[in-house]
Amino acid sequence: MRGILKSSYQNFVHRPITNLINLIGLAVSLALVIILSLYSFGELTTDHFHKNADRVYLYGDNNKIYTPGILKDQIDLSIPGVESSVRIASTWEPPVFQVAEHDPLKSDLIFADEGFFRLFTYKTIEGNPDAAMKEPMSLVITRQLAEKLFGNKQAVGQLVKLNNSNEMTVRAVIERPKENSCLSFNALASIATQKIMQPNEGEFTEWGWSNFQTFLLLKDNTNPQVTAKKIIALFPENRRNDYKNTHLIPLKKIYFSKFEIYGTDFLQAGDKNKVLVLILVAALVLMIALINFVNISSSQWLDKIRQTGVMKVFGARQSEILRNMLAETFLFFLSALFLAAFLAVIFIPDIQNYTGIRVNPKLMFSGPFLSIAIGASFILSFLFSMIPALRVSSSNVLDNLKKNLNPQTGKSPLRGILVAVQFTIAIVLIAFTLLVQKQVNFGSSSFGFNQENTISVNITPQLNQKKDVIRKILLDNPSVKRISMCQYYPGKTISQWGTQLETGNGKKQVNFDTFAADAQFFNLMGLQLVSGRFYSDDLSTDADKVVVNESFLRENKIDNPIGTKLLTRGNAEIIGVVKDFHYKAVNHPIAALAIRNDPSTSYCLVNLQTTNFNSLHNTIQKIKKEITELSPSFPVEIAFFDQAIEKMYQSEILFKKTFSLFAGIAIVICCLGILAMSLFACQRRVKEIGIRKVNGAKVSEILTMLNKDFVKWVAIAFVIATPVAYYVMHKWLENFAYKTELSWWIFALAGLLALGIALLTVSWQSWKAATRNPVEALRYE
Amino acid sequence: MIQLTNIDKYYDSKFQRTYVLKDIILEVKEGEFLSVMGPSGSGKSTLLNIIGLMDSPSSGKYLLDGNSVLDLKEKVRVDYHRNFISFIFQAYHLIEEMTVYENIETPLIYKGVKSHDRESMVADLLDRFNIVAKKDLFPQQLSGGQQQLVGIARAIISKPKLLLADEPTGNLHSTQGEMIMETLKELNNEGMTIIHVTHNEKFAQYGKRIIRLEDGNIRSDTNRKT
Repeated sequence: MRGILKSSYQNFVHRPITNLINLIGLAVSLALVIILSLYSFGELTTDHFHKNADRVYLYGDNNKIYTPGILKDQIDLSIPGVESSVRIASTWEPPVFQVAEHDPLKSDLIFADEGFFRLFTYKTIEGNPDAAMKEPMSLVITRQLAEKLFGNKQAVGQLVKLNNSNEMTVRAVIERPKENSCLSFNALASIATQKIMQPNEGEFTEWGWSNFQTFLLLKDNTNPQVTAKKIIALFPENRRNDYKNTHLIPLKKIYFSKFEIYGTDFLQAGDKNKVLVLILVAALVLMIALINFVNISSSQWLDKIRQTGVMKVFGARQSEILRNMLAETFLFFLSALFLAAFLAVIFIPDIQNYTGIRVNPKLMFSGPFLSIAIGASFILSFLFSMIPALRVSSSNVLDNLKKNLNPQTGKSPLRGILVAVQFTIAIVLIAFTLLVQKQVNFGSSSFGFNQENTISVNITPQLNQKKDVIRKILLDNPSVKRISMCQYYPGKTISQWGTQLETGNGKKQVNFDTFAADAQFFNLMGLQLVSGRFYSDDLSTDADKVVVNESFLRENKIDNPIGTKLLTRGNAEIIGVVKDFHYKAVNHPIAALAIRNDPSTSYCLVNLQTTNFNSLHNTIQKIKKEITELSPSFPVEIAFFDQAIEKMYQSEILFKKTFSLFAGIAIVICCLGILAMSLFACQRRVKEIGIRKVNGAKVSEILTMLNKDFVKWVAIAFVIATPVAYYVMHKWLENFAYKTELSWWIFALAGLLALGIALLTVSWQSWKAATRNPVEALRYE
Repeated sequence: MIQLTNIDKYYDSKFQRTYVLKDIILEVKEGEFLSVMGPSGSGKSTLLNIIGLMDSPSSGKYLLDGNSVLDLKEKVRVDYHRNFISFIFQAYHLIEEMTVYENIETPLIYKGVKSHDRESMVADLLDRFNIVAKKDLFPQQLSGGQQQLVGIARAIISKPKLLLADEPTGNLHSTQGEMIMETLKELNNEGMTIIHVTHNEKFAQYGKRIIRLEDGNIRSDTNRKT
């Protein structure tokens, strides 16, 4: 063992630079693989930590997970296979939490039935969460919220005032799970509390209201399909059709299901495609690093062969030489692995901050992970050193000792092919990075409405009664061009209605998204009218009028909507059609939308007419100050529209960052590889370069000669990479409702960048080799 | 043709200055065949490298063909190497991945000679040195003497005025060595200036003039009467 350690060390210091490059490249890529596998593991095992995870289901279908409150009562009464059922609802807007010695704080709150903690497993820090769920006006909060509200003081027993009206008592503090979960909340209260805070009797007694998610805990050996059928049968006949496709979604699968959630989103969705893409990136990075390993270590065969020749002459057996070489490689991989673990621990916080991905570094030191990592290193080191080791150990002693080994060993096409494979990967990654960039830019540029110089002010309950005062304050400000009171905010969830439309020839069921806005909204947003007219401010004539978008006509198959009436409160009449604009995140298609002339207000949008950043800043500060005075108990938030829009496709931006970062690292590792190779090539050709220079070659000619090989392989890589990249990119774009084009320049730019990177890397060495004094190279050996 | 005045070549280490060449004064006329002799480490190769513009002196003056050639730009130096000076080496320094033919052809490519002309020029030389049959072989398939012949062929194909030979016979046994020296003598008779570094007293006698170096100084300078 000591002998192997010693000879590993000697081999390492014999060629310190190439070996260091080899080790660092391998370690960085392994670090990346570690981080990405921790991330993917976390994502793929979302919600696995709940004790009863295998028996918990959400009732719904892929589009609809909202169910009536009365459903729970019916399930409890008549379905024996259900051990416990829990409704969960959220507040429409996050409430404001007020405690005596602290500024008011906006945070989310959800309501749930008693059985919540039987379905979902959370660690209790203080108090009794089960008891809290039984009593009205009791709160269970997370440690994070407790720290924000009470600092280091004990939270249990403290009073909290919500929205300046309801007093509640904190009964328990729980820990937010380290593992990934689709449930995300900071405060939890019972359904009884909801009945007091948001009184709405119909929610609990009528089949027509669907405001809850219903989670079920099934008894052991209960068939979820059969249970789902039984639940559908509970609905009254006229409703049953709406729920005919519902089933029970296992808790472990909720995270990767695609459904839209309105209101505060306590249910978080992941994207399996992103996880898969990142796993693919990890695999590619590993492949690049392994190719580097093969390239660099095979370039040392010559040395090795000479060394083993001497060893054989002094009596070493073939098996011993083989064993030593394999052991050395394993040792090398193991050191790379430890270095990688070290790098991962150091960089995980930064990577999490930058890319927004969730990684649990503790997992890294768990037994199974360590054994998998070490086992994988063993297998990889074995696979990738077996062939050279066999070749070296079985070579003929006399051949080994010959001074002039066949020079062709240094120039096998295999190495060129491997470089081409690396560059194929690099070009695909660069092209894909460019495409992700382009898609995100595309998303941010084509919303179909004004987004510049517009801010939004949230209308708190205290401001709601003072809308006229606000309007006056704002319009008196010379920098304010236009304002609009509405419920719209880019990317914010909007309510969905299903109702009947009275057309000339009968009634028709229509479903659509909807929000309220005043008449200024259209102008402020710069929306275009397609037919009919926008409503005006005059409530005597235009109250309850509705403007719909083009998708509304398309989805509900209506040709002439003007004059038809929606059978809702007040029988709203459709008077105009507006051109489609992106009111949701770009990966959702534009759906049917109705904008109602209704005084409900959540936001005041303000369009400012200034271009100077400083004056813009001052204006906003002034507005904020004036409005805050009107709303002492509730925080006033001012948001820039373009920032809010950015949030709409935040997941794409984060993906872009993640992908670019990892692709960048992959390319750097790729460069390390060709750097080592060019180093080797230059060393091998030192003499040749000297001879050529003495015979009249210029530095530029030597450079061309040295770089030509690499350029050739990059060109071949480009030819292979283009169709592969095209296919991958095409597939990825299919995920988007609105996609950018696959322009030719993406491929061209990717190829040129790869070529540029390769040339720069190689030239660094070539330049050194080419400008060397030939005397040194040609000195008598 | 070559005029070296007060040429010094030294290396500075921490506390002392080590001279390789000291105060060398040497003039070589066109058409001379100069043998440089001396023990190992006497500065023979350094002197040759300085004359061949592969190394520069620490101080002194060097006029080549009447022009000062110290601190030349790369372009000018390369021009000298393409058209004026050629080398042959003890270790032949042929490019192993290239055939005999390609090795001989290399300087012409750098000189920018057209492919058609190159063909005939290489063919002439192969013919002259009787190695036509070997033209498609690789260097390691030849004997040492044959490899050195290829080295000479490569050196003279660009028709240089000055041929510098650094122990060209050092790796050869005497028959082959004589053959190489005869070849050099012939070239000199055709008018080529040759400077030839050697250990071997017998081969040194091929030169028309012999200088002996010792510790970086010229100890003797004799013209041989023929």
